[in-house]
Amino acid sequence: MAAALAVLAVLSLSAAIFLGVADIPMGDVAAVLTGGGSAEARLIILDIRLPRIATGILAGIHFSLAGYLLQTITRNPLADPSLMGVSQGATLSVTIFLLFTVYIFEPGSNTLAELPVAWLPAAGLAGGLLAGGVIYLLAFRLGLGALRITLCGVAVGAVLHAVAIGLIAGWGSARIEIILEWLSGSLYARSWDHALFLLPFTITGLAMLPLIYRPLMLLQFDAAVARSFGLGYRRQFSLVLIVSCALAASAVGEIGPVVFIGLVVPHLARFLAGRNFMLSLVLTIVLGAVIVTLGDLVGRLLGQAEEIPIGVVTAVFGVPLLLALLRKTM
Amino acid sequence: MRPRQSFLAIGLIVVAAILAATFGLLIGAKTLSLETAIRVLLAPDGKIESILVWTLRLPRSLTAAAGGAGLAVSGYVLQTLTRNPLADPGITGVTSGAVAPIVGCFVYLPWLSPAYYPFIGLAGGLAAAAVTFWVSHGGQGRPLQLALGGVSVSLFLGAITTYVLLSTGPQSASLLFWLAGGFQGRTWSHLFYMLPWTIAGVAGALLLRRVIGMFMLSDHAAAGMGLQLGFWKPLILILAVIPVAGVAPVAGPVAFVGLAAPHIARLLKPRGTGWEIGLSAALGALIVTVADVLARSIAIPRELPVGIVTALLGGPVFIYLVQRGRLSLGGEAR
Repeated sequence: MAAALAVLAVLSLSAAIFLGVADIPMGDVAAVLTGGGSAEARLIILDIRLPRIATGILAGIHFSLAGYLLQTITRNPLADPSLMGVSQGATLSVTIFLLFTVYIFEPGSNTLAELPVAWLPAAGLAGGLLAGGVIYLLAFRLGLGALRITLCGVAVGAVLHAVAIGLIAGWGSARIEIILEWLSGSLYARSWDHALFLLPFTITGLAMLPLIYRPLMLLQFDAAVARSFGLGYRRQFSLVLIVSCALAASAVGEIGPVVFIGLVVPHLARFLAGRNFMLSLVLTIVLGAVIVTLGDLVGRLLGQAEEIPIGVVTAVFGVPLLLALLRKTM
Repeated sequence: MRPRQSFLAIGLIVVAAILAATFGLLIGAKTLSLETAIRVLLAPDGKIESILVWTLRLPRSLTAAAGGAGLAVSGYVLQTLTRNPLADPGITGVTSGAVAPIVGCFVYLPWLSPAYYPFIGLAGGLAAAAVTFWVSHGGQGRPLQLALGGVSVSLFLGAITTYVLLSTGPQSASLLFWLAGGFQGRTWSHLFYMLPWTIAGVAGALLLRRVIGMFMLSDHAAAGMGLQLGFWKPLILILAVIPVAGVAPVAGPVAFVGLAAPHIARLLKPRGTGWEIGLSAALGALIVTVADVLARSIAIPRELPVGIVTALLGGPVFIYLVQRGRLSLGGEAR
């Protein structure tokens, strides 16, 4: 399993580096990677392809891990940041942030490259945590079951999404195209900066894993079982929820809402891992990175000059899977 | 409620809607006095006030009222058909199914006359409903199945719509405002586009009230009473999508009205499906008219899209319904 996984990861990574709209011979790509190559090839590989691959890998880890955590603590196989309103919360706050930067920071800047990327994950975080807070309140204050929490997440998501679209429509003016591009969930023109500003969130999230590993195993069961193992249910639930929201929301900040990764990847991982909890967690992380990388590659190659955003690719592939799951599991 | 009381209730709601619409005639970038509004209403004189009332505010309020009535009836029929209290044109993906192909036509087939849009909306809405219903076993699985199926259909169509918008360039601004759902700048011609569809939906539902009422029982019982399910189920589903096909091209998606209005109508406990449909339609008209007036009076001189206002009002209703466990219409929550 581990060997197959490593091969898959290496294959998809090299495919993403070697393939693209600009046709660069394999030899030249190899030359660039070893420090040589023409200036043009270096620009395309080092400044365009590699940073977007890196950003994609990090964001993929964020989305899939966030979905895994949400599914575990809500004990709902269909939980996902984009179905529970977390992505929509992040979308709303990033939209507000992007609109405000027009008035506050630099009224003139109207290209994606000039956006204050450093602040995007933080902006997403605020909204994502807010949506998570609403879920928390609904989960505990109202004492709802897993199913009702999901339904409330759906409603919260719909409201937040409507508000975001309304704000863009009403106040977007000069920024509409930028926000739209970001809203479709895209890795287009993502630079090393994007990856760099995402990295602290990834590291923090992964570093939290050993801490929440045991509670997570117990949170799979209901509150009574978890408590009987001496677990502070509320505290651990909120901790995992915060980690999950933070991961999803920060990634939404940098590349926009990419739907269904958080839903589909954990299922794939659990399917492959069987009952091995540790393995399913690791697989979720690796497969998240691999699938976003491959999805972006597909979007780049299929769309050619006008590439298809990763968010569209994942929606097209993810929805049939979700629908099949929905019909089968319930 | 007895029939007479139901009739009275409908009358009161219509009066409230008219009051809201009248208030809507007065308010806006230029505020009019009640006197002026009534004067120009009775005797249009071609001056600025008269134009404001007759070509901007009146058709807009009427369009909002008709749209609200249509959405509410659509929600009512969907809820009854699926015995699922969370069904609503938005939740089941019908609205985004109607909206997405219209955006596509607007961008890729600009020569196509808007007169065809309701038909395209009907086809798209039906397709989306078919997928959602397939997933949720005819809408009668658990409420969650229906809601998640509809949301994922909406997410799917939303991703594609955003992509289409991206490739349109400058047009995207006006399309986006339409996508937020609203009645800004809607004229008499918009109203006349929508009206046949709304009337067909409401009248159809009233005519078929007995069949619709039978769906409130189980499929089994309905079949036992001699209902040809294979014929009536698809037909009633088409009936539910018809008003949405009219509203979507004109107003875009207006969220949660189809969910809230029938619930409020049922809270009033009218006797009989027909009165429930009538009350839902009246309440839908009232809710959207009020939402439209709010949308343009909160942030004068700017406007909020009506879709936001109804989402902000309707979201809590949805959560209330879930929280109160009012899910017994179709399968328990847990």
